[in-house]
Amino acid sequence: MRGRSTRFAVFTCAIVVALVGASVAAAAPSRVPQQAASGTIRIAAEEEPTCADWIASCAGSSWGNWALGNLTLPQALNVNADGEYVPGAILVDLPTLEPGPPMKVTYRIRPEAVWSDGEPITSKDFEYTWKQVVTSKDIYDTTGYIDIESIDTSDPTTAVVTFSKPVALWRDLFGGFYFLLPSHLLEGKSRSKAMKDGYAFSAGPWKLDGGKAGWKKGKTITLVPNGAFWGTKPSIGKAIFQFIPESSAELEAVKTGQVVAAYPLPIDGALDQLDESPSLTYTVSFGNQYDGFWINAKAFPLDSKSVRQAVAYATDRQVIVDQILRPAIRQGRVLQSFIVPTFRQFYVPAFEEYTPQPDRVDELMTGDGWKKGSDGIWAKGGKKASFEINSTAGNESRALTEQIWQSQLRESGFDLKIKNLNSDVLFGSRLPKGQYDVALYASVGTPDPGLCTIFCSNNIPSKKNKNVGNNTTWTNDPTIDRTWSAVDTTLEDAARVTDTQEGQAALAEYVASIPLYQAPEIFIYNHDRLGGNLQDNVVMGPFFTMNEWVLK
Amino acid sequence: MTKYIGRRIAASIPVLLLASVLVFLLVREFGADPARVRCQQSRDVHCRARARAALGLDDPLPEQYVTFMGDFLQGDWGQSQRTDRSVAESIRDDLWETSQLAFWGVLFSGGVALAVGVYSASRPYSRGDYLFTGLAFAGIAMPTFWFGLLTIQYLSFELQQLLGTTEPIFYSIPNPLGSGVVDYFRELALPILVLSVQLVAGWSRYQRSSMLEELNSDYIRTARAKGLTRRRVVWKHGLRNSMSALVTIVAIDVGALFGGLIITERIFSRAGMGTLLLSAVNNGDTQVILPWMLVVGAIIVAFNLVADVLYGVLDPRVRLS
Repeated sequence: MRGRSTRFAVFTCAIVVALVGASVAAAAPSRVPQQAASGTIRIAAEEEPTCADWIASCAGSSWGNWALGNLTLPQALNVNADGEYVPGAILVDLPTLEPGPPMKVTYRIRPEAVWSDGEPITSKDFEYTWKQVVTSKDIYDTTGYIDIESIDTSDPTTAVVTFSKPVALWRDLFGGFYFLLPSHLLEGKSRSKAMKDGYAFSAGPWKLDGGKAGWKKGKTITLVPNGAFWGTKPSIGKAIFQFIPESSAELEAVKTGQVVAAYPLPIDGALDQLDESPSLTYTVSFGNQYDGFWINAKAFPLDSKSVRQAVAYATDRQVIVDQILRPAIRQGRVLQSFIVPTFRQFYVPAFEEYTPQPDRVDELMTGDGWKKGSDGIWAKGGKKASFEINSTAGNESRALTEQIWQSQLRESGFDLKIKNLNSDVLFGSRLPKGQYDVALYASVGTPDPGLCTIFCSNNIPSKKNKNVGNNTTWTNDPTIDRTWSAVDTTLEDAARVTDTQEGQAALAEYVASIPLYQAPEIFIYNHDRLGGNLQDNVVMGPFFTMNEWVLK
Repeated sequence: MTKYIGRRIAASIPVLLLASVLVFLLVREFGADPARVRCQQSRDVHCRARARAALGLDDPLPEQYVTFMGDFLQGDWGQSQRTDRSVAESIRDDLWETSQLAFWGVLFSGGVALAVGVYSASRPYSRGDYLFTGLAFAGIAMPTFWFGLLTIQYLSFELQQLLGTTEPIFYSIPNPLGSGVVDYFRELALPILVLSVQLVAGWSRYQRSSMLEELNSDYIRTARAKGLTRRRVVWKHGLRNSMSALVTIVAIDVGALFGGLIITERIFSRAGMGTLLLSAVNNGDTQVILPWMLVVGAIIVAFNLVADVLYGVLDPRVRLS
């Protein structure tokens, strides 16, 4: 009996010791030293950046740029809240373009622009970045960079980039998803190893706190002011981005004051909750990601332009958009082009003529030789106007969109079948092979208006382009080819705007696909604690002006 | 005993290998293509081909598997196919996070389940027993996700409103600025509560039935007849002998917890093995999924062994051979 009691006592003591030990040990590794409350802010980040080697394919995520890249590294050009290109902090003014041939772009670098170690930013950094993009193995996007012939670095404060052919999207180079890289720190080293998990250098207003240590994977990114930054220096001592993947958890975190700002995807009832919190301010904006019905123009019956137009006239997009967006943001705005209105200099509402018009549907279908059968479905040559829509399985709002569209089309005499697929089957196999009728998915608009990659006939997957063409709608129209090819090669701004607007009209006439709505975003902040320049920027993210934020 | 443990470990190796082959084939065949995930927003049509080549995805599946296992066995767990981060580091860090949640969750749940089980068994069919039985069934039936959101709404937000504090008493997300034991438990309280509901519900039922069986045994009646107090009979004799069932189920459940906290970790925005698996599956990241599965499999095997060994310790009549 005594022996058993002793064993039991030892067992109990072991548990207690383990408990205390685990408590102390568990608390240790994840702690960050306490900072003065007035000097530290916590911000909710819905996604963790995937990696910080910005030019590699591992880095293709918006949150990477918003929470780290844009705040720590320089770009030649930035995009302002109005969707316009403006010179980045490193440039004296907008680059100058010589159309050529050969086309040349000259970037004049501010003499006071330095890396965080005090070394000046030079034309060598432009050259290093370009060479890394075109010579490294696993690069995210080489578009435009592969057309650079040389970079003149004879003047450290002036980078003269010469192109082998006209590149209309030159403003996206050394910007967009990419940043200028420090040649003096990375030359001769593995760029990937030096950057992918975070880096100590900076040429932005912020830098990672302790270099790589500032990014605690799965938890936080901690930024502190970069003392060498030559522009507006941050007044906040520390900014912690905390990864909160659930929108509802983000809302609770900002409502309870655990974070002072958040940028969640909208969820139903979010605005009602925010209205009940008097210390919170929010702005709803429409991002550059948009949903659309992407139509396969080689699949029966949608291979007929009349049928595509009739389908567009049979669709009440406002009803669909209201159902999807109103519960979350109290408004539903239909997108009328494949260029989002954010980039207002190019956008025209080309699809606005497509409102529900049953008479137009009848006119177009009968004109194309179709007759309605006893079941109310159009038929021609013994074949019905029946087609299938595919989207990614498990997406509730897209499933709802499909159901509403199915009912609208049924009323106009079209039979729509719904079959949702694994995303890899849809994007990896069905779309590239043209084995679909209509697909519902999102695309991303860029400040540069080029759409030739997805609508020009030379980009239809074929042997010529090794089956990697991105025109998976099989759009094939001479006007679309002419206008959008010109957009990619025309260097003169006014002509480019004209081509873009003509191109949008041509896409609407052809009904290459049907745009639906831009994904909305909500920027929330606690106005009792934050002031200064707080504004959303759908390209650069709402934290781009964080160096101008002040703590109250 | 040593031989027994050695045999059990040896027997588990082919099972883990077979499972790894199946998981590898299923994820590769039906999961997301990591190259597509990496390049989904790229306008460069060659991005995916470059990524596939860099990730070795163009090699035949058996070759990919053999390469992976060869490296794995030599201690090179490689890099994530989505983030390029070291897989060994990811698993080490996330295992540590999950271990903390699992440790405190099991400790709390085990204590509560034991108390509830003993109470119910010593007062069977009383009002208290019916109440705990009802609560146990509610706990088993309650979806973790829903209960998690309820705890955040009421124990974090509403409680803060009630008390008028600047920050909640119980954090709904980890607090990177927190320090000390108090902050540590303010951060863990809600996840532990959510994790514990189903554990307590299940374990208390096991303890109740096991204890009830013991209390109806002849040796208990003999002890009572010899004049021992009810308290002494219940706690000294009944409890000790009834615990083997609870210990067995706890040990088995603990192993499973290392891979099964996906919802709890996600709701409370915590890093951990569940979050790691979810991300890896969504991105078709076999380079993470396979080591994850082998590590979790090994933990489950280890805890099953612990269950067997403890069973023998608690009941000396049982001899392992």
